[in-house]
Amino acid sequence: MNLEQLFKKAKEKNIEAIQAELSEAESLNFHVFNGEMDKHQIADTKKLKLKAIVNGKMGKFVTEDIDESKMDNWIDALLDSAKAVESEDEVFIYEGDSEYKDIDLFNESKLNKLSHEDKIQLVHDLEQKTKALDERIQISQSFYGESSSIVTLKNSKGLDLQKRVKNAVIGGDVVARNSDDSRNAFDFIQSNDPADFDLDSLAHNIVSRATALLGAKSLKSGRYNILLENRASASLLTGYLGMFKAENVQKGMSKLAGKVGQSVANEQISMVENPFMEKSSKSGGFDDEGVATQYKKVVDQGKLTTFFYDLKTAKKDNHAPTGNAFGGGISPTNFYIENGKDDVEKLIETMDEGLFVTSLQGIHSGTNAVSGDFSLQASGFLIKNGKIERPIALFTVAGNYLDLLNSVSTLGNDLKFSMNYIGSPTLKIDSMVVSGE
Amino acid sequence: MLAKQTLEKVINEALESQADFAEVFVEKTVQNSIAMQSGKIENAVTNEKFGVGVRVAKKHNAVYGYTNDADEASLVSLAKKLATSFEGNRVRETIKLPEMKSGNKHTVKRNPSDVDAKEKTSIVKKADAAARAYSEEIKQVNVSYLDSVQDVWIASSEDIYTNDQRVRTRLGVASVAKNDKDMQMGFNGPGASKGFEFYDEIDVDAAAQEASRIAVTMLHADEAPSATIPVVVDNGFGGVIFHEACGHSLEATSVAKNASVFSGKKGEKIGSELVTAIDDGTIDNAWGSQNFDDEGRPQQRRVLIKNGVLNTYMVDYLNGKRMNEASTGSSRRESYRYAPTSRMTNTYIDNGESTFEEIIAATDYGLYAKKMGGGSVQPSTGDFNFAVMEGYMIRDGKIAEPVKGATLVGTGKDALQKIDMVGNNLLRAQGMCGSLSGSIPTDVGQPTIRISNITVGGRKGSA
Repeated sequence: MNLEQLFKKAKEKNIEAIQAELSEAESLNFHVFNGEMDKHQIADTKKLKLKAIVNGKMGKFVTEDIDESKMDNWIDALLDSAKAVESEDEVFIYEGDSEYKDIDLFNESKLNKLSHEDKIQLVHDLEQKTKALDERIQISQSFYGESSSIVTLKNSKGLDLQKRVKNAVIGGDVVARNSDDSRNAFDFIQSNDPADFDLDSLAHNIVSRATALLGAKSLKSGRYNILLENRASASLLTGYLGMFKAENVQKGMSKLAGKVGQSVANEQISMVENPFMEKSSKSGGFDDEGVATQYKKVVDQGKLTTFFYDLKTAKKDNHAPTGNAFGGGISPTNFYIENGKDDVEKLIETMDEGLFVTSLQGIHSGTNAVSGDFSLQASGFLIKNGKIERPIALFTVAGNYLDLLNSVSTLGNDLKFSMNYIGSPTLKIDSMVVSGE
Repeated sequence: MLAKQTLEKVINEALESQADFAEVFVEKTVQNSIAMQSGKIENAVTNEKFGVGVRVAKKHNAVYGYTNDADEASLVSLAKKLATSFEGNRVRETIKLPEMKSGNKHTVKRNPSDVDAKEKTSIVKKADAAARAYSEEIKQVNVSYLDSVQDVWIASSEDIYTNDQRVRTRLGVASVAKNDKDMQMGFNGPGASKGFEFYDEIDVDAAAQEASRIAVTMLHADEAPSATIPVVVDNGFGGVIFHEACGHSLEATSVAKNASVFSGKKGEKIGSELVTAIDDGTIDNAWGSQNFDDEGRPQQRRVLIKNGVLNTYMVDYLNGKRMNEASTGSSRRESYRYAPTSRMTNTYIDNGESTFEEIIAATDYGLYAKKMGGGSVQPSTGDFNFAVMEGYMIRDGKIAEPVKGATLVGTGKDALQKIDMVGNNLLRAQGMCGSLSGSIPTDVGQPTIRISNITVGGRKGSA
């Protein structure tokens, strides 16, 4: 791809600055259902994202039809796009930072040790292991997905960065059935090191999560103390990422506006963005604007220290950019609530009566990202006298996310990440509203 | 697009194996989106998608590959690579494609590609102004404009060679109402399989004000209770309850794997006899319509449930093989980046006999869910949840105070049996449905219905 020629043509058309992001990706996926490989997918794709400043406005254009003979059309599209923009916000194409952290996200030697056949065998092995563990497992599916990408970011101001990432995920999904109930469970391991693929423990997790819930019934409505399991807490946090993004704060769409330096959560809570986490496909040394990423405690012992910024929002707040321009907006890389000290077993033992909520459903519709309110379908276990009494399902837990962060009394030591690299340990929370029967 | 001989060559190359099915899906899509925030046009982006997906299968087991590299040599090499999964002697004769079928019954009067950017932004500005003018409590308005022209060419070993053009247009308005105590959001997003003439046919101001009306109403609403009570779900987007709670469980994607609560239930009574439910991909210019499905078969109208009895599933070709059933033309995918599977199109509960007034008057105490938000379902158990965007309490047969923050949870099987009143005011509304084969446009719909009791999860606690 001759980007120099594109930049030259852009200059001839009075484009002040232009940036190109070229992503080249390859992926491989296997899916095994009840002993048969029922899906196998390979892909090889390219995408070119262009942006250009014309008369102080940012024009954008995206294409997968990367045919260099069409460069003139791309430039026309950028000019048209910029012409339609009215926003008077200052826009930027970045010269670059003096230093970028160099992290090896390819880890090539390790994942490539597995042959095509090895990978297929892994998926079959996982599926057989889950099925063999318990006769109530009636349906089992397992999958392996692998992707590698090379992202090249270049602009007319001399920026020239490249990132290579390779990552894989292996997981399974089962349905357990007994005479009158049916429950499903899902779990996965994400890494670029096959040594992390501990299939026995993965299979055991998946199967026990499904069978333990068999026979789950609703419970009486009321207020209950809650143990919010790591994965449920991580998925709830996913619904509230917007609160921490500067664009929402600046538009009056975040309840955290004006709270930097103040306490927004219980002092035991620290929330970290770590772009340098090994083995995560979301890690990297720079964002989509070419700004160096940085490790930061967004909430440090309960206190809000910063929002996530891109160049435009940083300028507005007279703040340094934080390297969070991703996907055409603002996003964190790997973002998580830091571990506490206690084992989950201890958190259960020390609970007189309450609910161990192991799953929350409907995050995209049941959370109000602006007000912080939520009301979500949940399942898990009723705890009495420090012991699990019975499985429960088809109830809702409701509250406000900021109230929840303040009412956390203890944190577990079991940090777990979602597929999207949002993480949390198990949280013990005082009193939430529960609707059941 | 690609020459017929090239398509034939790719298909035949894939069939140099024990594979008994091969298909090529070629897509070119141009999408234009405009975003307006804080009263200014913030972005106007053109996004061109172009790629080819090749699918090869033996019985119901499929291999799929996709690429942006559309020259014959690389497609033939992709086909060869895919065929290695089914090594062995050829089982199919050499495939000759039939004449290409095409033709768009969803008439487009003004193709978006022929409309000036200025004209498009003027619609966005009109919507923004109307949404803001609704009330002083409206502090933020985001308007999104989308037009999309998707051209697909589908050729397969099943004597299929079709071309379909899907033109879609949608306007989304999200309004935020705010006072010193609270912020609430309202959304309205009308769309259709139409071109720019859509904006001559709808009232843009009214559509925008609807989003603001919801936000302002909810700003002054009390918290919803937590209780199991009768719920009246209004027409239009209320149909999301059926879409989530039952529709997904009637897709061959889960039925064929015996992973649905409705697997093996054809001919059985699965719901109240008041319920007749239809998935119709042929409705003129509807948001979820197509001329051909994404395996190149003509779209169809499917009566899923007739008077409470399960009549048909939604079936794609490969899952059909697993089930010993023919395709119902239900195969859909977001783009060439997804292998297709059975999906919904425009899905609705058909009209019943009651009037809206009769349904409310017959309810002593309950929740009136006027506007629904989104939701999700677990097909293996049928457990669903969905958010009520605009709700009211019903007291003594009358609509009373507005309530916010309600989530409805239940199981599809149970809810379907508990529908005890069905209105006569069928209305469809537009949404995006996400599943295995990506995010696709679908209509949901229903007349006003009543569910005799369902769990409402609010923040107020029990009364």
